[in-house]
Formats: sequence, C-alpha cells, structure tokens
Amino acid sequence: MATPLIDPELFSQLKTKIEADSLVKKDLDQIVDDLNQHVAYTQGVLSRIHSTPRSKYPELFVQIEDGIKKQIEAVAKLAVTASQHPYYKYNYKWTRTVQDSVSTVVLCAWLGGLGSETKPGAVGRLLTIEDIGEIYQVPVNLKDSDAFHITIEEYLLGLINIIDELSRLAMNSVTLGDNALAVQISGFIKDLHAGFQVLNLKNDILRKRVDSIKYAVKRVEDVVYDLSLRNLIPAKTE
Amino acid sequence: MSSGFKRDRHGNAKKFDGPKPAAKPAVRNAYTPMFENLRDELDAHHDRRDRIGKASRDITALSKKIIFSLQRVRKIDQDLPSDIQAEIDSRLTEISKLLASIAPEVQGINRYRYARSLVCLEELVEALTFAHYIKTQTLIGYDELCLVVEDLTRRGTVFEDAVMADADEQQPAAAEAKSEINPDAPAISLTDDDYVYGLFDLSGEMMRFATTTSALTGRMASGDTGDNQRTIVEDMHDLGSFFEMLPLRSGNRITWEKKLEVMRQSVRKVEKLGYDRMIRGSERPEGWVPDLSSADQLDPEE
Repeated sequence: MATPLIDPELFSQLKTKIEADSLVKKDLDQIVDDLNQHVAYTQGVLSRIHSTPRSKYPELFVQIEDGIKKQIEAVAKLAVTASQHPYYKYNYKWTRTVQDSVSTVVLCAWLGGLGSETKPGAVGRLLTIEDIGEIYQVPVNLKDSDAFHITIEEYLLGLINIIDELSRLAMNSVTLGDNALAVQISGFIKDLHAGFQVLNLKNDILRKRVDSIKYAVKRVEDVVYDLSLRNLIPAKTE
Repeated sequence: MSSGFKRDRHGNAKKFDGPKPAAKPAVRNAYTPMFENLRDELDAHHDRRDRIGKASRDITALSKKIIFSLQRVRKIDQDLPSDIQAEIDSRLTEISKLLASIAPEVQGINRYRYARSLVCLEELVEALTFAHYIKTQTLIGYDELCLVVEDLTRRGTVFEDAVMADADEQQPAAAEAKSEINPDAPAISLTDDDYVYGLFDLSGEMMRFATTTSALTGRMASGDTGDNQRTIVEDMHDLGSFFEMLPLRSGNRITWEKKLEVMRQSVRKVEKLGYDRMIRGSERPEGWVPDLSSADQLDPEE
C-alpha cells in the first residue's frame, strides 16, 4: 500500500485545533457580553449628568462608581481568559467594549468622580493611560509579553467618545445655569483637539474618529459665543 | 542674495512669496507631552507594519513565481527537473532573506498583531505544499511545514551574515563559523489559518496542474512507482473530502465558505477531466489545451 495523500493524523490535529478555537470564542463572547451589560448600565447612569446640577453630582457618582466597579471585575475576568491566548488573535472580540468601558471611567473622573486619597477627584481631571491601568489593575500598552492589556488605540478612542458627550453637556449645563462648566468644557475640548493634532494618523479608524472632533469643537464654540455675546461668561475666580 | 520681492497686479508686495514661512510651532498645552509620547508609540507601530507589508508583498510575488515554475512540471511523485529545482531554490533564497529581515518584528505579541500584513505566508504555504505534492504526491503536515518555514527564516539570517562576512575579508574564519544555522535566531511561525487557507489555494493549483498535464501528456498525472498508481483525480477527491469533514470555523465563516466553494469547483473540474480521459481520451488530438481563462473564475450560476 502506497502512502496516502493525507496522513490521517493531520486531519484529527486540525479538527482539534478548530474545535478548540470555537470554544475560546464562545467563552470570550460570554465574558464580553457580561462586560457590555455593565458598560451599558454605567453609560445610562452617566447620561443623567445632562439633567443633574453639579451640586448633585456626588450622589450620581455613587451609582456610577458602582457600575464601574462591576466593569472592573468583568475586565479582570476577561484578562484571565484572554491572557491564555495570543492577545491579538482574539482582540477584535472585546476592543469595542473595552473602549466604551474606558470612556465611562475617563468621563466619570473628568466630572470629579473616582477620587482617591492620593489623587482627589476634581472637575477637569484627565486620566492618563497609566491611570487607567491602575484603576483596572491591568497592564497598558504591553510590548514585551503577550498578555491582556489596554492598548493606546483603545485609550485614544475612549477619549474621543467623551469629547462628544462633553460637547453635549456644555449645552445642557447652560440650560441648568452652570455657565462656568460650559466654558471649562470648551477649553478642555480645544486642548484635546490640539493634542490629537500632534498624532501622525494613518487612514484607519482612529483617523476617522479624530476627524469628528472638530464638530464637537464647533458645538462648544457656538455655546461659548452665545454666552459671551450676552456677557454671561463668569469672571475667572482665583 | 536677492533683495527684491514679487508684486501683485496692483504693485503691492505679495504677502506670501517664495518658500512658505516655517509653520508656527503648535500651541502647547497641558496634554501636549502625553500626546507626543503616544504619537511616538503609534509611529513605531505604523512603521513596523509598513516594513512587514513591503516584505510581505515581495514574498507573495516570489511565491507566485515558484508556483508558475512548478506548473511547468509534467510528472508527479518524482524529483523536479534540475532547471526548475534551480529556479525554485534561488527564489527560496530570496524569500529566506525577506523572512529573516522581518522575523524579529513578528515575535511574541506581534505575531498576531501583524497577521493581516503577513498574508504572504498563505501564498508561501501554497507554493511549498504544491512543491511537496509534486515531488512526493503527499500532503505535507502542519508541524512539518512549520519546521520548513522556521528553517527558511533562520537560513535567511545566515545569508545576511555571510554577505557581511564577505565584505570583511580579514576574518574568513568568522564567516566559516557563522555559516551554520543558528537555532536561536528568531523564526516566523505559521498559524493554523495560514496553513489551512494555503491548502485551499493548493487545490486550485492542483486543478490547473491536472488540466495542463493531462492535455499535454495525454494521460492523467499519477504516481509512477510500483504499487502507487494513484491519479491526481483521486488526490483531489481526498483533499475535497478532507475539507468537507473539517468543522466549520466560527467567526470568519464567509471567507471559509467562499474558499470551500472554489475548492468544490476545482474538484468538479478535475473529475470531469478524469471522465473525459476515460471516455474519449484517445479521440483528443495530442497537444490540445482546454481554455482555462474562464475556468479561473467561480461561476455563480453553477
């Protein structure tokens, strides 16, 4: 009997590999789904900032931080499973959700939440990617080993998410009589916009999203213009 | 040094004349340093991806040339004619060097990060499995092929070292020592996907091979040695069933099904060929070549 074309071993080897791959994907789907629910809840609570005066933020933070705590737990679970496999093999499964999660954390901190003893909460505080890693207790921008981490792209896309949300808040804060907040948001968005201009972008998703920042800039500028026209901009307090 | 300036049609000095004034330094704010750091990281990533992509395109082109050379072979289950073997060897040497040049960039976490820039590996798998099939009439296994590709990559480092050593005539002994393959040099690993999708493409090449050889030699390509009289028609059937039995990939289902469909068409074409040979093989004038131009496309009507 001559050697067959295909060694039967090869078939069972590939079959096992494919089946294992499907199992991993199923596991990840479930974990990411779980994280997604907590992200959605936190986003829901966060949407109430548009109708809540600044003095009532602390009550809101209790709920938001509770949602964030659940997200952190879910990310920890994701990290355990994801780290068992090459990071970028399955990264596409969770990258969107992680971006959304990051943006809820960054937004909450910007509004003055998530304060700690070493880093007190204050309106206008921008978390760096390193702060994010500390909050989630996961590595960021990992290069020398192949494990779960939060990437630069995820962080930057998360920032762009909050720019849009803040430009909306600028308008609503004026409605609530908090003109100072609108002015502060305008300054922040302009600074971030300038920051994004520093990047050398390729024709990818990040470029597309960065291009959308200018509309947010325009929206907040319009608000500030309306305020200044009517002499409604509060004098800077020392 | 010129002291003049250009005027517009009203005689006034033009505002922007000659080289543009240097761009104003960007306004810096509290976040600028952070973004500068992130920019450097992103730039490194984009540059790496570009380098890998360039090498990948070259490797793809070289692999295709190997496949063309192999399509000029007329017999299976024996060594390649020496001229074709020489062509392939020189292409493989070039591929080795290219693989070695990008190997350090796709280690560890970066292997999958740049998996999409490394599509050349699929093409390389196609070329290597096809060469192996023609020589031995068997399908090379995944593990075996991984070793071949790793070996190719490591040999590439040797070639580069050798070139550098040649320039440095003073130390021929060093060159001698370096010509051995370093087992610790970074190698490029094949993913399961590279292998499986490469095999899909192999079925297309086998179909083309079966068609040309049967038309030009007047018989269906088959094993020659003693008890092995298996024809390429049987091999295509084996390969076809192999893919049909594999579980469907979750995730990239669309690519998988498309490839599967193309492969089915190839199997059909070869079995039709076998049937034709059997029924009216003797009636066909020698040297008749069927028109392959339209056979390359998948006909959605079928």
